[in-house]
Amino acid sequence: MPIGDCCRLSPAASTELFAGTDASPFGRRQRRPRGARIPVTVVTGFLGSGKTTLIRELLATPEGANTAIVINEYGEIGIDDALLRASSDATVLLGNGCVCCTVRTDLQESLRTLFADRLRGAVPSFQRVVIETSGLADPGPVLQTFASDRALGQEFHLQALVTVVDAPGGAGNLARMPEARHQVALADRIVLTKTDLADATEMAALTERIRQLSAAPIATASHGAIDPGFLLDEGLDLPTRLANHPHDHAHAHSDGIDSFALFFDEKLPWPVFEQAMAVLTALRGPDLLRVKGLVAVAGVRGPVVIHAVQHVAHRPVELEAWPDDDRRSRLVFITRNLTRQSVEQLIAAVAGIGQP
Amino acid sequence: MAESAINQGNDTLIWNFKLLAHNALDGFGGMGEGMSMQLAKDGRRILWLAHESAPKNFTAVDVTDPRAPKIVARADLPQSHMRSNSLETVGDILAVAYQTTQPGLEPAGFELFDISVPENPRRIAFFDRSGPNSRGVHQLWFADGETIHMSSGAPDSHPTHPKDDQFYQCIDVRNPSKPVEVGRWWLPGTQQGDNVAPPIRHPEGTDSGFRPHNTNVYPERPDRVYMGYIDGGMITLDIADRAHPKMIARWDYHPPNVGFTHTVVPFFERDLLVVSDECTRNDGADWPKLVWIVDNRTEENPVPIATCPMPPVETFSRRGGRFGAHNLWENLPKEGCWKSDRIVLGTFFNGGLRAYDLSNPYQPKEVAYFAPQVANAPTGACQINDVFVDDRGIVFCVDRHIGGLYALEMDF
Repeated sequence: MPIGDCCRLSPAASTELFAGTDASPFGRRQRRPRGARIPVTVVTGFLGSGKTTLIRELLATPEGANTAIVINEYGEIGIDDALLRASSDATVLLGNGCVCCTVRTDLQESLRTLFADRLRGAVPSFQRVVIETSGLADPGPVLQTFASDRALGQEFHLQALVTVVDAPGGAGNLARMPEARHQVALADRIVLTKTDLADATEMAALTERIRQLSAAPIATASHGAIDPGFLLDEGLDLPTRLANHPHDHAHAHSDGIDSFALFFDEKLPWPVFEQAMAVLTALRGPDLLRVKGLVAVAGVRGPVVIHAVQHVAHRPVELEAWPDDDRRSRLVFITRNLTRQSVEQLIAAVAGIGQP
Repeated sequence: MAESAINQGNDTLIWNFKLLAHNALDGFGGMGEGMSMQLAKDGRRILWLAHESAPKNFTAVDVTDPRAPKIVARADLPQSHMRSNSLETVGDILAVAYQTTQPGLEPAGFELFDISVPENPRRIAFFDRSGPNSRGVHQLWFADGETIHMSSGAPDSHPTHPKDDQFYQCIDVRNPSKPVEVGRWWLPGTQQGDNVAPPIRHPEGTDSGFRPHNTNVYPERPDRVYMGYIDGGMITLDIADRAHPKMIARWDYHPPNVGFTHTVVPFFERDLLVVSDECTRNDGADWPKLVWIVDNRTEENPVPIATCPMPPVETFSRRGGRFGAHNLWENLPKEGCWKSDRIVLGTFFNGGLRAYDLSNPYQPKEVAYFAPQVANAPTGACQINDVFVDDRGIVFCVDRHIGGLYALEMDF
C-alpha cells in the first residue's frame, strides 16, 4: 500500500457520522503503538546463528508462555515430543499455552489461519507471535506484510525485528553476504550468540562491524538465554537509536546503508509530512529501508507513531500521551544511498510550500 | 479439539487486561449488580458491592491499593427471602435496593446509610415499597445526591400481570431521612385501569415481565431516562416534568429475540446508545443475548446499527452456566469514575469481562477480555456479573456465584 493511501488523514465516512467532538483523525488514541493488536516479533539471522535455540529458551520462560511460533521449515525448532498436545495439518500445540505453526504456503495465510483459530477457540489464546525466518531471508518483505495486508495489520502489530548474529560466524557472514548486512541494518534489536566461542578481540571487531551497520540496541544471549523483554517488549529501540544519533551526525555505513535521526521543533501539518513521505517513497522507495518515530502533528493532541518499510507504511496511530517531556517530532531513517541532508531538505521544502 | 484446547490447564482466558488482584471475599463471593466507589474523606477508595443473594447484603472493600483489596465492612440481610442486588453511593450516603422473593413480603424498598465511617454504616432511613403486589426495588440509580431513579413495585400497585409488578419511580432524597416519591411511569397496559390492552406475553419459560431494569439519568440530559425495559425492549422517557413522565421512544426487538433488555448507556456527543440484553438461561438456551449499538440521532426513532462481536457460542455455551451479555460500564456521572465514548466494557457471564473499541460504531471491535478460572464454580465456569471502572483506569468486576472481586488494568 503506498504511503499516500494508508497515511490518509481524512477519517472514513462511517466514523465521521458519529465522531463526536473528541475524535482523532487517526482513530482511537492508544496507550501504546500496538493498541489492542497481537504483538509480533520477527527473528532473523543466518543459518546456525542460534535463532532456534533463542526461541526455544524463550518458550521455557514464564514470559514466553502463550506464544505462537511461526517457522518456515517443519521440525526446525526441534520440538520435544513430550510437549505435543494435539496436532492438525500445520499447527502443533506445545506446552505452556504455546502453539507452533509451519508456513506451508505463505506467511499471510498462516497468520490469518492462526488468528481465526484463536478467535474460535481452536488453538489456545496466544498472547504474541514469534516468526522465525529462514536463514537467507530478506526480512523486508516480512516487515511489509503487516502494512500491506490491511486485514493482518488490523490484528497484528510488528513489535520488533530481532537479528541474531553468532560470534564465530558473524564476522564472515557480514563480510561475504549482503543479506547478512541487510538483516543487521534493518534490525530493531540485535542478539549476539555463542560469544563463548570467540575471544575478546574477535568480539570487539564484530561489535564494531555491527555498530557500523546499525544503531539498534545489542544484547548477548548465553546458550540462547536472554532477558525475554529484549525480544518481546515494545518501544525498546527508539530511545536507544536516538541516543546513538547525535543530532548533527549521520552514521556512515557500508553498502551505502546509512541511518540518521531527524528532529523537528515545530509541529508538522499532516499534509506536509504525508506529501514529503509520498515524494520520498515514489522516487526512492527501495532505498528507504525503514522509517520510524513520533511526529507532533499540527492540531493533533498526542504523538503520531510512524513506521514505514521501503514503499509501504503502517497505519499511523495517535498515542494518548508523549513518552517523555520532549515534544519534538523525532524520526529514525535507515536508508541506502540517501543522505540525511537530502531528506531534511525535502521535508523543509514541502513545509515551505505548505505554509505560505 | 476446540474445547480441549480452551479447557486445558489453567482455564483463565485473558487478553489485554492485567490482573492486579483477586479477592474471593471470604467465601461470600456471589456478587450482584451493584458496584459503587466512595472517595472517603480520609482519602481511601471504598468499593461497595451488592451481593447476589442472601445471607449477605453488601460488602465494602478498600481498593485504594488495587493490588491489595481489603474488606472493611459487611452487612447481613434481615431475612433470607430477599436480596439486595443493587446499590449506589453519592458522597457519604449509600442507597441499597431490597427486593423480596414474593409479593407481600418485607422489607421491600430501599435503605439509606450514612457511610462517613465506612467500617460502620449507619441507617438514615428506609423507604418502604412493600405491598400485596410488590416485591420492592430491583435496581436503583443514584448519581446526583438528590434523586433516586428506580425500578420498583409500590404499595398501591395493581399490575395486570404479576410479573409486571415493577415500574419506573423517581424519588426525591434531598432530605435523606425522608424520601418522597415525585413521579412514576409504567408501560401502558401493565397496570389495571389503563386504557390500553395489556402487552402480549412472551412465551412460557421466557416471560420475564414488562418492567424496567436499569433506569439511567445523566447530567447531560437530566430530562431523559434511558431504560432497559426487560421484555418491553428499550425505552426513552422524557422527565422534564418529573411528575408526568412521557415515553419518547421504544425499540422492541422481541420477538424474534428472547426478551430481557437490561441497560441503556448513551454516548451523548456521538448520538449513540449502547444497549445490553441479559442472558438469564444456562447453556445458551436464550441465545443470542447481545450488546447493541443504536443510532440515536433521531431520538424518537432509535435504529440498531451493529452488535458487539462475541466469542463462539458453540464453545462457550458448553462451558457451563450462562453465556451472553449482561451489565455494561455505564459511565457513571460521578467523581472518581472513568468515562469513555470510545470503549465499551461489558460482562458476559462465562464469557467474562469484554472490552470493545467503538471508534467505528458500525464495526465494534473486541480489544480485551478476561474470563477467570473460578475454583469450585457451581456451573463449572465463571459467571462475571458486573463491572466498575474508576478514574485511575482500574477495572473491577465480580462473579455472580463464588469468585468474588477481580481488579484489572486496561492494557490496550
